[in-house]
Amino acid sequence: MLLLGIFLGLGLSICLSICYTIQFNRYFGRENFSKRNILAHFAVLPLVGWRHKFAKVKKQQQYLKQQLQNYQNLLEQAPLGYLQVDEENQLLWCNQQARQMLSLEKWQPGQVRLLLEVVRSYELDRLIEKTRDRSSSQEREWVFHPSCENAEAMVEQKSVVLRATGLPLPQGQVGVFLENRQQLFEMSQARDRAFSDLAHELRTPLTSIRLVVETLQDRVNPPIARWINRLLTEVDRLIDLVQSWLDLSRLESNPTTQLNYQPLEIKALINSVWESLEPIAQRQVVQLNFTDVDDAWINADKSRLYQVFFNLLHNSIKYSPPCGVIRVEVNVNVPLQNKNKSSPENGPLLAIDIIDAGHGFAQEDLPHIFQRFYRGDKARSRSIKGEGNSNSLDGSGLGLAIVHQILAAHGGNITAMNHPETGGAWLQIHLPQVIAKSVTQDYI
Amino acid sequence: MFETTSVKALLIRPNFARPQLARDIRRLERDILRMGALVEQSFRLSHQALFARDLSVAEQLPLLDKKIDRYYKEIESECTAIITLHSPTKQDLRCLSAFMQLVRDLERIGDYAEDLSEIAVKIFPYEPHSCIPEIAVMSRHAQAMLATSLGALADLDEVGARSIKLLDDAVDEAYESVYETLANQKNIQGSVEPIVLLALAIRCLERMADHATNIGKRVAYIVTG
Repeated sequence: MLLLGIFLGLGLSICLSICYTIQFNRYFGRENFSKRNILAHFAVLPLVGWRHKFAKVKKQQQYLKQQLQNYQNLLEQAPLGYLQVDEENQLLWCNQQARQMLSLEKWQPGQVRLLLEVVRSYELDRLIEKTRDRSSSQEREWVFHPSCENAEAMVEQKSVVLRATGLPLPQGQVGVFLENRQQLFEMSQARDRAFSDLAHELRTPLTSIRLVVETLQDRVNPPIARWINRLLTEVDRLIDLVQSWLDLSRLESNPTTQLNYQPLEIKALINSVWESLEPIAQRQVVQLNFTDVDDAWINADKSRLYQVFFNLLHNSIKYSPPCGVIRVEVNVNVPLQNKNKSSPENGPLLAIDIIDAGHGFAQEDLPHIFQRFYRGDKARSRSIKGEGNSNSLDGSGLGLAIVHQILAAHGGNITAMNHPETGGAWLQIHLPQVIAKSVTQDYI
Repeated sequence: MFETTSVKALLIRPNFARPQLARDIRRLERDILRMGALVEQSFRLSHQALFARDLSVAEQLPLLDKKIDRYYKEIESECTAIITLHSPTKQDLRCLSAFMQLVRDLERIGDYAEDLSEIAVKIFPYEPHSCIPEIAVMSRHAQAMLATSLGALADLDEVGARSIKLLDDAVDEAYESVYETLANQKNIQGSVEPIVLLALAIRCLERMADHATNIGKRVAYIVTG
């Protein structure tokens, strides 16, 4: 009886040990052990093997724990905000910076709560949802207003420009990096303000210089008169530059109030621009090829749009080879992607393509060409060749920036590409507020 | 440990046998808070339009209001769907009915914010009236009330919810005093339109504050019954 008991106990323990070994090995993913191998292994050295492995695993675990701790500490102290939510948008963890940026005083580590319960930011929530839906990294910048429950403190409450980048994680979790852009935003605003103040201050003395030069022009003898003429054109150039900078800053600070909307026909507008550019075009023997669906009417500021097409066509002529053709195509598009939503922005768009046959934009310039004073290398060499003899915005570096700003004020946009066929510049404009045909007849 | 500060924690416990219902209610709460964030934003924008005379902001209000309305309809139909499908317990039912009334209050606040922005557009050409600063303070109070009520909803904080009533008194007082000033205005030159518009504006603000108080009451009802 006793013997039976001993054998039974021994058998049971062997069974158990084998069972555990298999589990053990499976746990560490060492599937290359064959069953026979395990049995042989354990029949010989059951205890030593175990202890050895256990120690190794423990060490590994400790190492991993340490590493995890390190990473967490790093993230906690990171100069960027970071937060992580689960698939139900519950806040799992966030670091010190994020707590500061979003004023998350309510949240304590270890607490799992809906993100919206601790920070009511619609934009942040949207970003997280979007990241999860598209399962790709998303970015968004917005002005965050911390919610304030005290009416007196509300005046001092500062809003912050935040940029958030959402990253999809496994199991529907989303990690969000937050960046405080307030300082950058303020700096760029201060820079623009300083520039426009400067331009404002420069305008008056420049105007008086011009007057003086004009007076001098008639009173000096021919050899010096040449210098005076040169001076006059340079002063004009400077005045134009200052004026266009002022226009630009005014458009930027008050986009909508600066516009004087009126119905106008695009074809007539472009033709009138072309007429005024004709002398330059004839010199370069450049032709205009205009294709129009129907007469397209649009609600826009006439003089501003005139400036847009003037700058663009002028550029196109400048860069066209002799005997080149500039193509202008006008179409009315109905946006497809947002058809179900009937907001005013999703009405038909007027698409205008301006394509020339020059050598196009350099690939590295493309993202920057609408920035102020940005000049690709080509443009620079070109303006030296052009001897700066033409008027207006030749080579001022503001022409395209103004175009961009005017279109943005109209709620439209412009994209620059290189045309695959001609290899030249391809500028595509989209403008909203197309007027329906029946209405246009009333205006005629 | 008093970890039952969130709606989720409060709701999960009686429902852990019915995870579907708990999840639905949590989703509902999330939508309500989203809608709340939108309403807060539109209130903030209308404040900016009216007191900072920033008309470009006023254009965004109708779009926001459309979004708010969409949430309102969604949440309401979701509430009825949960009630009919899951036959919730007494406490859940209390929560759901409070939610239904609360979203109506939120939606009304959104509507008033849109009204305020329209007033801002109409009042723009006139000289700023002398009692504008007082109205701005009133508007800030109403906004703080909305923030408090939404915070109380998120935390299910009964004390916070009841404290809104006190803030409401401040708004009511301001309403009375501004009304007096406007009503007793003598020797008006030119149009009376700015005065009429300001009277409408303080009416809107007073109603908004009332609705925020209501939200606070509903939150207290969820907690205590």
